[in-house]
Amino acid sequence: MKRRLPSIRARLALWHAGVLTLIVCVFSAGILVFVRASLFAGVDRQLHRALTTIDWVYHHEPDEIADLASESGIVLFQLVVDGKLRYQTEGWKRAGLSRALHDGAMGPESWESPNGGWYRVQAVAEPSYTLAAAVVEGARRDAFWTLVAILAAGIPLAAGLAVAGGYFLAGRALAPVGAMADKARQITADSLGERLPVRNPQDEFGRLAGVINDTLSRLHDSFDRLRRFTADASHELRTPLTAMRSVGEVALEATLEPARYREVIGSMLEEVDRLTHLVDSLLVLTRADSGATRPVREVVELSALTGSVADHLRVLAEEKQQSLSVDAGAPVEARCDPAILRLGLMNLLHNAIKYTPSGGAIHVRAKAGESGQSLIEVQDSGPGIAAVHRERIFERFYRADAGRSGESAGVGLGLAIARWAVAANGGHIELESEESKGSLFRIVLPG
Amino acid sequence: MSAAHGAYILMGVPLEHPVRILVIEDEKKVASALREGLEVEGYEVSAAADGEEGFQLASRSPFDLVLLDLALPRRDGIDVLTALRRRNVATPVFILTARDTVEDRVLGLDGGADDYLVKPFTFPELFARIRALLRRGRADPVLKLQHEDLRVNLATREVARGDRSLELTAKEFEVLECLLRHRGRTVSRDMLASSVWNVAARATPLDNVIDVTMARLRRKIDDPFEKKLLHTVRGMGFVLGAARE
Repeated sequence: MKRRLPSIRARLALWHAGVLTLIVCVFSAGILVFVRASLFAGVDRQLHRALTTIDWVYHHEPDEIADLASESGIVLFQLVVDGKLRYQTEGWKRAGLSRALHDGAMGPESWESPNGGWYRVQAVAEPSYTLAAAVVEGARRDAFWTLVAILAAGIPLAAGLAVAGGYFLAGRALAPVGAMADKARQITADSLGERLPVRNPQDEFGRLAGVINDTLSRLHDSFDRLRRFTADASHELRTPLTAMRSVGEVALEATLEPARYREVIGSMLEEVDRLTHLVDSLLVLTRADSGATRPVREVVELSALTGSVADHLRVLAEEKQQSLSVDAGAPVEARCDPAILRLGLMNLLHNAIKYTPSGGAIHVRAKAGESGQSLIEVQDSGPGIAAVHRERIFERFYRADAGRSGESAGVGLGLAIARWAVAANGGHIELESEESKGSLFRIVLPG
Repeated sequence: MSAAHGAYILMGVPLEHPVRILVIEDEKKVASALREGLEVEGYEVSAAADGEEGFQLASRSPFDLVLLDLALPRRDGIDVLTALRRRNVATPVFILTARDTVEDRVLGLDGGADDYLVKPFTFPELFARIRALLRRGRADPVLKLQHEDLRVNLATREVARGDRSLELTAKEFEVLECLLRHRGRTVSRDMLASSVWNVAARATPLDNVIDVTMARLRRKIDDPFEKKLLHTVRGMGFVLGAARE
């Protein structure tokens, strides 16, 4: 089991510090290798020059070899000729540098003398003589180890600062998340109108807040719809119940003629019809919501279907002296459930007849769409639908003419059923409408 | 008043015994309404209030028809139906239920039911379907229907009243035929929707269409004549001829 740090902030800070420390370590190691190499390269060049000089002097002016130390500053060297020490400087002797060569080592190599000094020693062996020189490494070596010490002390300090800085920065960066969480915690079903704060809509948290706010908006809308639906449904359900109850109670209170009783009972049965129709319509929709209605798709010829639906409802149009014309063009085919589509089209056309005044014209046609879809258009010459209603007219119980009732009163579910019926077949309904010029409902089915 | 009442006559055919119907229904109000309604129609009615009792009754004594609810205590309706069929009880079974999905219907009819009606149903439709079930198997030789001076020829689709020939649209003709076949009895909108318009889905906006068609039919067969034949029964439907009192 891996134990996880509880806060993203701490995790971010540690990751930050860890990565930074790793980088610093690698960088430091690189510096040390480079510095060390360049330091010893300098020493070795110096050593090489010293040996060349001594060699030259030994060959050309062997007597002056003892003056080399005082004249050229080459103070650490010895000369062995034929196995016998010919010359050794004072410094060489003092430092006991001969021991650096005891195993016949030729160098160049670093050697620590017993008194604690560090020397770089190199020997050159010729057939008749051996020449050895040394250079004090001290200052360069000290500089190198000082650098090591500084880096060794600095890296933990940098890591510590990285943790602290990372923690601080992560805290600042994550602050909007905390604010969003605090705000989101306060939002309940009753305050769905509130939104999360968005500091910068372009950055990641701003986009996240934007997405959550969009979700909240949709949630708000569906809560609103649900609330309206509940209010409307209870109104629609209670009205017939109230009518039945009051008609029945009034009739029971008085002694009436049998004919009057029949009328009372008939009136109650009418309300039962209304309720039945309402419940049936609601059941169609709720079953669709719960996915219980599965469309059985087949290839359907839409012109014929359109004509038959129009024939069904033609009497209604005739009764209102409306002209109901069907444009029977070329056959149009779509894959859909004919019974469900028929129900949808029926409701759409019924709606057109209902809201188009007497003497108006309604035109229905099925045609092929431009990009392969199949279309059914229902065009009426009714009063049109104001822009404010266009979005909501397909909602359950929504009526553009809120106050209207009487002969045109339905239960207000026709268009909702139409929308579902088309959506169940994979399509959608488009609405084009201009006030006082009529409306065009267009069923768009995928090809 | 009813011809079938007491005399054991069904569809003009005299019977040796009254038609016996078993009602298996647990909802008391519905059960007693069914009993009363069926008795007024001239049937002899027995009732069972749960599935087990219904099954026992139906498998022991002979009935001409069983009205079966599906949601029953002690034993589910479908279970009762299949058990009866397994015992080779061939009595026609008529399912009355609030379950109206296609799956439910298929389940009921596959289980051996003869007809299926969804609650809330109307009595005119129930009675019409019961009559149809009971006379099933017998040929329907009727080609001409008549009520008083209104005559309909089903073969030539001619309609006349008195000495006047009437022009009816196809739908008006079918409505009139339906009314004539059930003359003297109320025909509900649901019945017309399913038998004339072939629409079973009740969420279809058809009531207005039926009312308008009926008004037009009335204009043709009644308005020019003194005696009115077509009547509206408020809250129930329509009746051709005098409604039974």
